[in-house]
Amino acid sequence: MLLYILKRVLSAISVVFVALVASFALFFLAPTDPAGVICGNRCTPERVADIRSSLGLDEPPAEQITGYIKGIFAGRDFTNGGTVQHCDAPCLGYSYSLGQPVTKLLAQAVPVTISVVIGAAVVYLFLGALLGTMAAQRRGSPSDKLLMGSAITINSIPYFVFALLVALYVTVLPHPQYTSFLSNPIAWAGGLVAAWLTLGVTNTASYTRYARASMIESLGQDFVRTARSKGISERRVVYRHGLRAALTPLATIFGIDLAGQLTGALFTESIFGLPGLGVLTLRAFNQYDLPVLMGCVLLGAVVLVVMNLVVDIVYTFLDPRVRLG
Amino acid sequence: MNDRVEPLIDEEARLAGQGSGTTLATAAADVAVPPRDRRRGKSPTAIALGRLRQDRVAIVCGGVFLFFVLVAIFAPLLAKLEGQDPYTLHQELTDDYGFPTIGPTAEHWFGVEPRLGRDLFARWVYGARPSLIVATSVTVITTVIGVVAGLIAGFAGGWIDRILSWVIDFVLSLPYLLFAIALPSVLLAVFVGTAEEASGDDVSRIRFFSLILVLSLFGWAGLARLIRGEVLSLREREFIAAAKVLGVPTRTVLFRELLPNLVAPIVISVSMALPGYIVTEAGLTFLGVGLTEPTPSWGVTIASAQNFYSADPLYLWLPVAGITILVLALSLLGDAVRDAFDPRTRR
Repeated sequence: MLLYILKRVLSAISVVFVALVASFALFFLAPTDPAGVICGNRCTPERVADIRSSLGLDEPPAEQITGYIKGIFAGRDFTNGGTVQHCDAPCLGYSYSLGQPVTKLLAQAVPVTISVVIGAAVVYLFLGALLGTMAAQRRGSPSDKLLMGSAITINSIPYFVFALLVALYVTVLPHPQYTSFLSNPIAWAGGLVAAWLTLGVTNTASYTRYARASMIESLGQDFVRTARSKGISERRVVYRHGLRAALTPLATIFGIDLAGQLTGALFTESIFGLPGLGVLTLRAFNQYDLPVLMGCVLLGAVVLVVMNLVVDIVYTFLDPRVRLG
Repeated sequence: MNDRVEPLIDEEARLAGQGSGTTLATAAADVAVPPRDRRRGKSPTAIALGRLRQDRVAIVCGGVFLFFVLVAIFAPLLAKLEGQDPYTLHQELTDDYGFPTIGPTAEHWFGVEPRLGRDLFARWVYGARPSLIVATSVTVITTVIGVVAGLIAGFAGGWIDRILSWVIDFVLSLPYLLFAIALPSVLLAVFVGTAEEASGDDVSRIRFFSLILVLSLFGWAGLARLIRGEVLSLREREFIAAAKVLGVPTRTVLFRELLPNLVAPIVISVSMALPGYIVTEAGLTFLGVGLTEPTPSWGVTIASAQNFYSADPLYLWLPVAGITILVLALSLLGDAVRDAFDPRTRR
């Protein structure tokens, strides 16, 4: 058991490390010219060389990457036009275009993305379990068919089109904007409710399908028959006995899915204009801001890998059969 | 060799046929079946296709898909029929504020774009092309790579399997959407220098290929993992052992013995992947990191039309309807294909 966890942790670390080296090689060692981009069109060669040395781009590749990795764990110093600037660990460098530490930009963006994802998750888990249960109870009836048909249809509409149409035409919802939860919880919820509902409704469609399948299986089990034969109310049988057993597979899907949702919130953020990780990445792309791009990709990879690891480890505790593997 | 495969096919045909006795009954009356096949029963693929033919939703959706494919193929012809092309500016048809002064007319069937005044019908029919080209090429590339990698990993075992499995896990655990945004800028810098130096045509060409590259780079791993799992269980079956004992070359075992048994997962994966890639292409293009102007593309049009949604609804709704109907039809077709090929999903 411990050996299995250790093996999974080691493989997760190897994935993150290779992702770091590969994306670093791609962004910084490819024959690109960030210094020229920062400097613009009317720029003297001396100025370009100066910027290049202040960014450390004139050093050999191996030193650049060790410098970057060292910065993550121990912090590093940047010399910029004679002045030395210390960047505390975890240091991911400075944004080319904004001059701010990448970690600071990420720290501002992450709460936005997390708020969007968690709020939407509350919507689709609740609605999905409820609608899925209702469909499973009425399996084969016209209302079940209608529900599943609309779930499949909503699922098949391209998400960005759906979100765009909601953003453009559903004007009854409060104007989307981000306020920190700590400073004003009501404004926080009000500004995010449009994003939550949009992301939530799309995912409700898939979760209704999962929940329905899981409930149908659970309602066919012997313990449900036993519960029915005891003579307790049908609602209690379905929601207390059936749903409880049906929630475990749903939770597994949710765990695996959640990491993908974090990066998938990109469309929601950019359509509703919420300054999260996706919008930060897009801005970095448009301004050729390599350190920020690198930081976003790295953070995304770490989040995905850690979430997968957590799901795997939690699963070994939930399901004894996995331990054999 | 075929004799060795026979029991397996019969077993699968029996399994596949369980849910629908009617299909088998009508199959007997089917004259198109060659005599040899009638003797040994239909292959699982033939049964699945027969089932698909009876699915009305699948037929309608297939028809819609075919319509879009034809529109994309004959886009130049359709535009010529109208007498317009997607690049010519008609700024005389827009007023001082950029709003078009005409609606749909006999000359411009869907009207013209705000600001530049390009013909909307021509841009709409040409816009079907990049979606289908990108999605189809990515689907073909990822399917070939995924199947080959999965076959090799599952069949070879040992260190080859360990390395390939690690690569698959690695690819699956990267945030591919973020990479899809980050990569084009690097590729652009590598191939044509900085963004200022590149011409518009260069940029849109590089974007086109980098989109295919990125989606292919990340898309094959899921199928490879699936195929590897299937191969792991098939590998231990008698017909493979028999082929090995008879000294059949490994390549023949892989592609003649194993591959036919993997038709169902491959077909299902392709039918799910195609609409997915159409959405991804349009979505990335909408965000400004996919295809760019002057390429006519629904994603590009939706992105610029969102600013005119109340003044010029047709401008926004044409590409929205195009992409939604195409993806909806393909997804429903994908669901029908999965139901037809996978007996377990039949209820």
